[in-house]
Amino acid sequence: MAEHLDKCPECRTEAEAVERLLQETEAVRAEIRAAAAYVDWETLPGLIADRAMAASRKPERAPSRPWGWLLPLRMRPALAGLIAGLVVGAAAMYFVLRAPGARPGQDLGFHASQEFLDRAELEMARRNTLDYLEKSQYVLLDVFGSAGAGSATTAALRSGQTRDLLARKKYLNGQLERFQMSKAKAICDQIEMLFRELSEISEEMSAAEFERIRDFVEERQLLLKINLVRKELEREI
Amino acid sequence: MSDVPARREVEAAEIAALLERIQNGDREAFMTIIRLYQQKVFVMAYSILRDREDALDAVQETFLRLHQKAGLFRPGRSFQAWLLQMAKNISIDSYRRRRRKKQDWETSRPIEEIPIAVEDRGGDSAASDLRSAFSRSVETLAERQRMVFVMRHYNELPFSEISEAMRISIGTAKSLHFKAVQNLRKRLAPVLGMEP
Repeated sequence: MAEHLDKCPECRTEAEAVERLLQETEAVRAEIRAAAAYVDWETLPGLIADRAMAASRKPERAPSRPWGWLLPLRMRPALAGLIAGLVVGAAAMYFVLRAPGARPGQDLGFHASQEFLDRAELEMARRNTLDYLEKSQYVLLDVFGSAGAGSATTAALRSGQTRDLLARKKYLNGQLERFQMSKAKAICDQIEMLFRELSEISEEMSAAEFERIRDFVEERQLLLKINLVRKELEREI
Repeated sequence: MSDVPARREVEAAEIAALLERIQNGDREAFMTIIRLYQQKVFVMAYSILRDREDALDAVQETFLRLHQKAGLFRPGRSFQAWLLQMAKNISIDSYRRRRRKKQDWETSRPIEEIPIAVEDRGGDSAASDLRSAFSRSVETLAERQRMVFVMRHYNELPFSEISEAMRISIGTAKSLHFKAVQNLRKRLAPVLGMEP
């Protein structure tokens, strides 16, 4: 290498440049030596050993947070963010799902036997029938309690009560058939037929039509039968 | 040359014995290790931190960690390189903490940009200016080039130990050193009155 440097001026210049550069490291080494000169190297090992022995004598404490080992310190913010997200998400789900009303698949915690449910429905059918008969009776009494064909009769018919009762009868039919309430069904059918006829006649009911309907009611003892069935239903309820 | 591996083997055996005694709580063995390596660890710490008190803290921290992890040393590798690697990591961590405390802008910089020779001990003389320029130039070297340069010229370690401490091959260590010198030569050319 020395031979080459003697012959090659370019490499010699380069080598001299590097040599001068590396001489600068000596300045830094001198700085380090100066700093080291102020250190008491004799006592330092004893101090470090004391600290090490004291640290090793300390009983190993259980971590204050049992989950502390899960993540290194620099990952704690990420863990905190994840937990915060879960908490917010859970809170949002809670407020959304606590809205009133049953949801598909939701268990309301109410259980009842089929027998109980049948009895409840029978009870409902009886009450609906009783209500129907009671209102029908009022309408009939309203019609026939008036002096005859006239404004009161037409007003009663126009009131829409009959049409309302006809609609309710359709709903009642299913219950009457299901629970085999034959007696009540028979009287309800006759009332329905009567109301249908009343709804079909003209608003200005003639005296003849009025008499015909009254005869129908009296002949079949419709009001009496309504009373009887009502009392029977009231007893069963 | 032939007696070098044999001497190293003896040293390694002695170190292994000392480390075993340290694990058994032998204070004297621990102090022996400290006496043997404290100045080398100080040089490593000081070359990174450029502050005597901080460097001494790093020395203490390094030996305390050695006391805890003496059992982790693998026989067969250089103990000095292992210890200096520990010192280097502790010093860099200390440097980062110190910078963070000062809310310095450098905290957000990656490790590659951490200046090792940070302190500007400028004076009036041209020599002082040259030293400042040299320190700044060493700062701007890439991390691995800087570490190899510091270990080679400040710690005066052989390439074999540098390679062990940095877990790189000897060839890579030499290559990094060459690149570091070339880069420094280019950057300091105007100050040294040389052609770039």
